[in-house]
Amino acid sequence: MTTESVMTKPGRAARVAPSVLVGIGAFVAVGVYVLVSSLGLGLWTSLGPGPGLFPFAMGGVLVSMSVIWLVQELRRPSETSDGVDRGLVIAVVASLAIVAAVMDLLGFQLSMFLFLMYHLKVRGRRTWISSLIIALAGSVGAFYAFNYGLNVALPVSALSPLNLIGL
Amino acid sequence: MTRTRSTRTRITVAFAAAALIALTGCGANAGATTAAGDDFPKKGKSIDLIVAFSSGGAVDTAARLVQPILEKELGTNVEVINKPGAGGQIGYTQLTSAEPDGYTIGATGSPSVVVSPLDPARGAKYTRASFQPLGRQVIDPAVIAVQPDSPYKTLKELLDAAKAQPKSMTASTTGLQTGEHFALAQIQETTGAEFAPVHFSEGASQATTAFLGKHVDILVANVSDVNDLTKQGKARVLGVMTAERSPALPDVPTFKESGYEVEAGTARGYSAPAGLPDAVAKKLEAAIQKAIEDPAVAQKMKDLGLQTSYLSGKEYETFWAGQEEDFKKVLPMVMKKD
Amino acid sequence: MDILNDLLGGFAAAMTWQNLLFAFVGCLLGTVIGVLPGIGPVAGVALLIPLTMNLDATGAIIMLCAIFYGTAYGGTITSVLLNTPGEAASAITTIDGYAMTKIGRAGAALTIAAVGSFVGGTIATLGLVAAAKPLGELGLLVGPPEFFALMVVGISLLVALAGKSMVKALISGALGLLISMVGIDPVAGAPRFTFGMDRLLDGVSFVAVIVGVFGLSEILSYRKDPHAATVHAPGLRSLLPSRTEWQRSAPAMARGTGIGFGLGLIPGMTGSVSSLLAYGAEKKFSRHRNELGKGAVEGVAGPETANNAHANAALIPLFTLGIPASPTIAVLMGAFLQQGLTPGPTLFTENSEIAWAIIASLFIGNLLLLLLNVPLVGLWTSILRVPASILTALILLFMVIGAYTINFSVFDVFVMIGFGLLGLALRHLDIPLAPMVLTLVLGPLMERSLRESLEISQGDFGIFVNRPISMVLIGIGVLIIFSPLLKLRKPKALNEDPET
Repeated sequence: MTTESVMTKPGRAARVAPSVLVGIGAFVAVGVYVLVSSLGLGLWTSLGPGPGLFPFAMGGVLVSMSVIWLVQELRRPSETSDGVDRGLVIAVVASLAIVAAVMDLLGFQLSMFLFLMYHLKVRGRRTWISSLIIALAGSVGAFYAFNYGLNVALPVSALSPLNLIGL
Repeated sequence: MTRTRSTRTRITVAFAAAALIALTGCGANAGATTAAGDDFPKKGKSIDLIVAFSSGGAVDTAARLVQPILEKELGTNVEVINKPGAGGQIGYTQLTSAEPDGYTIGATGSPSVVVSPLDPARGAKYTRASFQPLGRQVIDPAVIAVQPDSPYKTLKELLDAAKAQPKSMTASTTGLQTGEHFALAQIQETTGAEFAPVHFSEGASQATTAFLGKHVDILVANVSDVNDLTKQGKARVLGVMTAERSPALPDVPTFKESGYEVEAGTARGYSAPAGLPDAVAKKLEAAIQKAIEDPAVAQKMKDLGLQTSYLSGKEYETFWAGQEEDFKKVLPMVMKKD
Repeated sequence: MDILNDLLGGFAAAMTWQNLLFAFVGCLLGTVIGVLPGIGPVAGVALLIPLTMNLDATGAIIMLCAIFYGTAYGGTITSVLLNTPGEAASAITTIDGYAMTKIGRAGAALTIAAVGSFVGGTIATLGLVAAAKPLGELGLLVGPPEFFALMVVGISLLVALAGKSMVKALISGALGLLISMVGIDPVAGAPRFTFGMDRLLDGVSFVAVIVGVFGLSEILSYRKDPHAATVHAPGLRSLLPSRTEWQRSAPAMARGTGIGFGLGLIPGMTGSVSSLLAYGAEKKFSRHRNELGKGAVEGVAGPETANNAHANAALIPLFTLGIPASPTIAVLMGAFLQQGLTPGPTLFTENSEIAWAIIASLFIGNLLLLLLNVPLVGLWTSILRVPASILTALILLFMVIGAYTINFSVFDVFVMIGFGLLGLALRHLDIPLAPMVLTLVLGPLMERSLRESLEISQGDFGIFVNRPISMVLIGIGVLIIFSPLLKLRKPKALNEDPET
């Protein structure tokens, strides 16, 4: 029936955007996974409603809404919004992931200093002097403000040479 | 960030610094780091006291009573943190997964803390050995109460009615496999009276609120929960599940007096994650004993209807072991069958 | 006078120097968030939650409330001075606010806006004081089935009002509920959807999720604007409005208060709707309506008063019924829950001292906002001259610190990154984010009340329609969901509002 509804509207150049199809597919997949695993958790036990009851209902909503959405899209594809700035997404996500990965090893100050320098100097093309000042304030300054001011302990380096010099 | 503007770096730096300094709030000084806990507790480092039930219940009230004395004894801030859910399991999970450095302690109630690891369906990440008991504070006997306008005037009338029509009345608990749930199971076992349990897994304050709103028929709770309600005429307590009458409820007969062999209650105390350095454990135990036995605290507990019955960490542990044996036998009654 | 006593007690508790400091810092930070165009109130409040976790419950909530209504004022400054709204609710203020700037009355416009915000906020808080007791006493009538039904109403309103497509709003809502279910089942204790990871037993941190979905995804979806120009904030010749400006503002403020207060009570309505309607009211009723658009002071006073009255009135359903009326309030509610306080009818019986201290602090905060903002306008505008690249870097810095400090673990930083990507995908697919936040916070409460209800009825779903209050509430919820069939119009502003 789905292909039919496209066929019945000939002359329409618009097609469902691939990103929308991927999205719907992902929602259906998540929904089905939830439905299956909540059956395993138990919808109903001798003690009353089980742990799987509510997730099961939500999985059902997710799957059925995704299917309705697909039908709507096939009938009248929605306009896709502008693409994203891939360079920006990759740069931000990768730098965040790296900073999170090395933070316990290098300590907050060093990893955050490098992170800020990357965003200020490399990506933002600020001057050396302004990049350095801000990066130092945001790494070393923030570390001391949080550790000694707020009593919030940000991580120090796990490597002993770095640790010894207070990083 | 829609526009690019002229470079005004200094302002940014000033702003960043100002925001950080402003956030500083009340400045406290953290000490230097050393190992093994001789300097426990470090000045300015606060201790978290995790309460696995919501605020307003008896566990929470007791914890908030000992908190100021603990602060005085330990010379640092003690913060009560409520982590309700799953009849205590969520808070206990957090307690036992905390670093055993003395900066995280928790209020523990048994049987729930002893029993929840025994039921595989709960998938608890801790066992009894994950806790290091620091001291027991009270035993809070279980009671059964009805609405003030209920037709049942005595325990026998109530239980007979529940026997004649099983599950015709709803009864509150503070969660699956908590003291109240066990009490219901024991009642069913010994008397044949069956109620439909409703589990308010966040704690006694939710259960009491639901009872006051008449959303449940029967309140199964502890003496401290019904102490005020009885005085205000908002609940009629029909029986106490102890060997002797509770001093707080002198007019209420025990189950034994009414001819039923049922004893149940909740024992409460304080514990830490297992593996505390000895020096830290000693300091904490001493402070907790001081706080529990403080005359003002004991008096306030008495006002709540509770008799302080302190046990040291070691004795508390032995007490748990005894409870574990007892409850293993009745556990199947409160586990799901399917 | 019971209420008066409670309120005075609240003032006594709120007037400690720490709590005053928290209110002050909150106002300051809230205004900054409002001024910064890159970060909206939802992500802003979520971002600052970790900083308050070390405070006691009263202090933390006082600070977060101050941040919340601080944002409602902060957006005004850029609207007036730069013709760029800092947040959606102040968009309409640009028309007359910027026109006033061009004729050299920027200072007067900002002062009027601050006074209007103060008036609107204070009157709405008085409304909260009046409503708290009677609604709190209804609390006992609200059992688990009624509680569940209340939340159904709240969620269905938001689903119906958010975005363009109800199907997409429901997807968003279901996703939020599913995320909230990760961790130990709050009733039976079984671990759910934890994929064998011990870290997930305590659930996915909602702060990390919200900072990711709202904050990080905003930065990720940022696109270069080739037409961006350098903007110079004008100097302020005089902050004092003239006598006629005061006289013309007064009726506009009165109308704005009424509109903002009324709409603020309805879950799903955002501040933008209030400010738009208030502007519309000025167009219709103001004596100087023909001057609107050319720098009429009414065009600033009306919407800005409505905006703040709305923000403060929206706290009424939160405090008394436990229903968050907007995504920002949902985040605030999450902070309440993390502090062990359940907003709603039981708040005033179980934690009445804290509740009244917070209410008292709302009065203090509104006053602080007035005293703080007018003299500091210069500082706020200088923040705007900070280049975008520096702001982005600093916001990312705060996101990392915020996410890390939730549990002192980089795990939550990765969670934030993951949800930032999810947020980007949802934005790209045009799926509204608001229902997700709401269900994320309400999910555990909803599930618990559903299961308690079914235990009371011993498995009979009829319990939701057999009891009069829950029947009416469920009926309202169903009506709202099917309202598109009834061809009820919803305010256009909601479609474009980024907060939904």
